[in-house]
Amino acid sequence: MMKADMFSEGFMSSAASHPGVVASTAGAATGVEARRASVPWYVWVGVIAVTSATVGGAWDVSWHRSIGRDTFWTPAHMAIYACGVLAGIVGVWLTLQCTFGRDQRMRDASVSILGLRAPLGVFLAGWGGLAMLTSAPFDNWWHNAYGLDVKIVSPPHTLLILGIRAVAVGMLFLILAAMNRAAIQGEGSIGVTNFKPLQMLFLFLGGLMVGGQMFFLQEYTWDVALHQVSAYIALAIGVPVLFASLSQSSRFRWAATATAAVYTAFIVSEILILPLVPAQPKLGPVFFPVTHLVPAKFPVLIVVPALALDLLWQRTKNWKTWQIALVSGVVFVAVVTAVEWPFASFLMSKASANRFFGTIYFDYNARPTSFDRLRKFYEPDSGLTLWFGLARASVYAAISTWIGLAFGKWMRGVQR
Amino acid sequence: MRIGLRRFVVLVTMALAFAVPALGHVGSKDVFETVNAGPYKLFVTVRMPNVIPGVATIEVRASGSQVNSIRITPVPLTGEASKHPPASDAMKASATDPQFFAGSLWLMASGSWQVRFEVDGAAGAASAGVPVAAAPLAILPMQRSMGIVLGVLGLILAIGMAGIVAAAVREARLAPGDVPSQSRKRRALIASAAALVVAGLMIYLGGKWWDVEAANYAQGVYRPLELRTALTGNTLDLSLGGYNVKQQRWRGEPKDDLMVDHGHLMHLYAIREPEMDAAFHLHPERVSDGLLRISLPTMPAGVYRLYADIVHANGFPETLTTNLNVPAGMSTAALGPDDASAAPRAISQGELGTVYKLPDGYSMVWDRPEKIDANTAYKFRFELLGPDGKPATDMQPYLGMSGHAAFVKYDGTVFAHTHPDGSAAMPAMMLANGETMGEMDDMPGMQVDMPDGPPSPVVEFPYGFPMPGQYRIFIQMKHGGVVETGVFDADVQQ
Repeated sequence: MMKADMFSEGFMSSAASHPGVVASTAGAATGVEARRASVPWYVWVGVIAVTSATVGGAWDVSWHRSIGRDTFWTPAHMAIYACGVLAGIVGVWLTLQCTFGRDQRMRDASVSILGLRAPLGVFLAGWGGLAMLTSAPFDNWWHNAYGLDVKIVSPPHTLLILGIRAVAVGMLFLILAAMNRAAIQGEGSIGVTNFKPLQMLFLFLGGLMVGGQMFFLQEYTWDVALHQVSAYIALAIGVPVLFASLSQSSRFRWAATATAAVYTAFIVSEILILPLVPAQPKLGPVFFPVTHLVPAKFPVLIVVPALALDLLWQRTKNWKTWQIALVSGVVFVAVVTAVEWPFASFLMSKASANRFFGTIYFDYNARPTSFDRLRKFYEPDSGLTLWFGLARASVYAAISTWIGLAFGKWMRGVQR
Repeated sequence: MRIGLRRFVVLVTMALAFAVPALGHVGSKDVFETVNAGPYKLFVTVRMPNVIPGVATIEVRASGSQVNSIRITPVPLTGEASKHPPASDAMKASATDPQFFAGSLWLMASGSWQVRFEVDGAAGAASAGVPVAAAPLAILPMQRSMGIVLGVLGLILAIGMAGIVAAAVREARLAPGDVPSQSRKRRALIASAAALVVAGLMIYLGGKWWDVEAANYAQGVYRPLELRTALTGNTLDLSLGGYNVKQQRWRGEPKDDLMVDHGHLMHLYAIREPEMDAAFHLHPERVSDGLLRISLPTMPAGVYRLYADIVHANGFPETLTTNLNVPAGMSTAALGPDDASAAPRAISQGELGTVYKLPDGYSMVWDRPEKIDANTAYKFRFELLGPDGKPATDMQPYLGMSGHAAFVKYDGTVFAHTHPDGSAAMPAMMLANGETMGEMDDMPGMQVDMPDGPPSPVVEFPYGFPMPGQYRIFIQMKHGGVVETGVFDADVQQ
C-alpha cells in the first residue's frame, strides 16, 4: 500500500522507483500477467470519448466563429455527444460488473455510493453526464429568455463545461486507479505490467485537460491581451495546479512538458487543419467575410515554463512542499512572461501573418475597428502595474502549485 | 381581404405582448409590408422575436410574375456589415399554395436590420429588402414546472457531489479488497458535509451570477426614448432623451440623428383619452438637437395620449409616447396644411360602422372582413366616396402616400402608424432598397408608392393586429386640398 508521504520519497524518480513497470521481456509473462498487461477496453473507450469531446468542442467553437448558426445535428455536436454515449456505456458496464458481477477483483477495486459499486472515476463521469443533461433544458430556457448566448461563459454553459470536464476527470481517474494499481503491485517485481501504456494514456488525457483549462482561460489570454497583467494572473492561477497534480500523479519526470506539448500540438493541428474546410457565415452582422473554418489562436507557449518546472521538480525532490511551491510560482511566472511577452509582440507583427501562426484568421463578426483586426494590444500594462502584477501572479502560481502538489500526491494513492 | 394561409408558426410569447413595447409602433412588433422585387410583388410578414438574439419567422405571398424560389438573409441596414450579407436560406413553398413561402432567420444583435429577399422566377432574378428593427422586448419568466425540474436536478447534483467526495475519502485510496476503517468513515462523513457546503455555495454564487446576467439583459431591453412635453400657450415643446446610450447604442444617436419621413422629422398623433373622440395627426418642426416644437391647433380640452413616430439615421424607428393635458381655450389656430384631425363618436357610444361620414359630405367606406383574427395578416381596404356616392375623382397624395393609417387599441397598448406599403418606416424602406438619403431630403412628400397620375380612391393597408380586443382605426386620404380622416372600429378575435 502507498505511504501517505509519497511526495518526499521523490515522486519524480518514477523509472527508478518502479523498475518493474517497464516491460522487459514480454515472453516471460504468464497467462495471468499477460491479461493484466493489456489495457482494458473500457479505458480505451474512455480515452476515445474524451478525445471526441475535445475535438468536437474545438470544432464547435470554430463553427460558431465561422458559420455562426447550427442545428443540433452538426458533426461537432455529434462528436461532443458521442463522448457522453461512450462514457455512459463504460459507466453502466463497470457499475453492473462491480455491483452485480462475479469478478471479485473488479468488485474489490471499486467504491460504493448508495449501494452501487464502481470505480471512483465512473461516479465522477456519471455526475458529469447528469450535469450535462441538466444544462440542456436550462440552456434552452436561457436562449428563450435572454436570447441565444453570444457569450461562451453563461451559467448553463458553465454547467455544461463543468459536466464535460467531470466526464474527462472521471476517465482520467479510471486510468489513474488502474495505473496506480499496476505501479504499486508492480513495485519490485519482474515481468510485464500495463503501467507504461496506462501512463501514456493518462498523460494524453492530462494534456487534453490542460487544453481544456487553456480554453477556459482564453477570455483572458486572447493574443491581444497578452501584454496585460490579467493574462499572466489567469495563467498563474489556472495552469500550475494542473502541471503539479499531473506531474505528481503520473509518476513521469516530464509530465508537465508532455501535457503542455499535447495542448500545443492539438491547437497547432487545429490551425493547420481547420482552414482547409470551406465555410461561410450564415448569421449577421458579418464584418469579416469568412471563407473557411476559423481556427483557435496560436497556443500560449506554456510548454516552456512546463519544461522549467519539470527540471526544477527533478532537482528539488527532497524539499518541503511549500518550498517547492514558492520557487515554482516564481519560476513559472518568470519563464512564461519572458517567453510569451516577446512572442505576443511577434503575433501582433506582420511576420506572424501566415498559415502556421494563424494571425490571419478572424471571426465573421470581428469588427474592422477591433483590436484583434488591427493587431494591436488591448490596454497594455507597464511599469509598476506590470511588476506588481507579476509579483502577485507569482504568489498565485505558488498557491496553485501547492494545491496541485497536494492533490497530485493524494491522486497517487487512488487505487479504485 | 384575408391573406391565404393563416400563420402556421405560433409564437409562444404572444401572451407577453401586453407588457411589450414595439419598435416603430407600440405593442405591434411584427412587420407587414408589400415590396416589389423587380416584376414580383411580395406581401411580407416578419414575425419578430421577443428576445435578441432570436428567431424571426417570415411569410411571403407572391403575386405578379410566377415565383419559383425565394432566399432570405438578414443584413444590417447601415454600416460595414451591411456590405457582407451572410449566406442566404431558401424559403419553403407551401404544398397547397406554391406562391406562399415561409422561412425563419436568426437576428443575432439588436439594431436596424433588413431581411433581403432574393427572388427567382419566370421573369428572372430580382431582389428586395424589408427593414426590421430588432431589439429585446421582454424577459421570459421561468415556468414553475421548469423551475422544479431544474431544482431537483440541481439537488441531485449537489448530493451526488457529496457522495463522490465521501467515497473518495473513504475508499478510493484503499488497496483493492481492503475494508475502510472507522476513522476513514468518519472523515468521509465530514468531507461529504464540507462538499455539501461547497455545493451550496456554488449554487448560491451561480444564482448571484444569474441575477447579474439577467440585470444586464434587462438593461438591454428596449424602452422608447423619453418624450417630454412643455406647453406654453398653444406652443408645444417636445424634447427627446433619456436612455442608456452605452447599453442601447444600436438604436442610433439619442437625439440629433432623425431622418425625414414623408417630409417630416416627427409624425405626432394626439388622441383624446379615454373616449378617442378627438384625433390629430401633427408635424412638429425641429428647433435644436432633440427639441421639436409645434403650435397646436384648436383642440377640445382634455387629456391626450401622444404617439410620436421618429426614425433614426440607421433606419431604426421608434414611437415615443406620453400624455398631454390640453386646457380649455388653449388655441384658436387652424390646422397646418399637412395636418389632419377627426372628431368621431366617443367609444362609449357604440362601435363605428363601415361607412364614416366626413364633414364635407364625402364618406369613407371600409371593406371590413367578416371576422378579424389577431396575428393574421390582412390587407384592409378603404375607399373614399364623393357626396354623390361615387368614388372620389380629385384624389391627391397625402404626405407622399395615397393614404396613412393608424391602428390604435382602445386601451392605448397598441399603436401602429402604417402606409399602403406596410408598417415599416419609409426611410428604412429606402435604405433597404437602395434609394439614397440625398434624394429623400430633396423630395419631401415624394410619391414612393404610386404610379404616375392621381392616386386611386381605393387604398389598401397591410396589417395584422397583434392581440385580440377593441381597436379604433384612423385613415387619412387627401382630395381637392382637403385631408380627410375616416374613423372605424374593429373587434379583433383571438
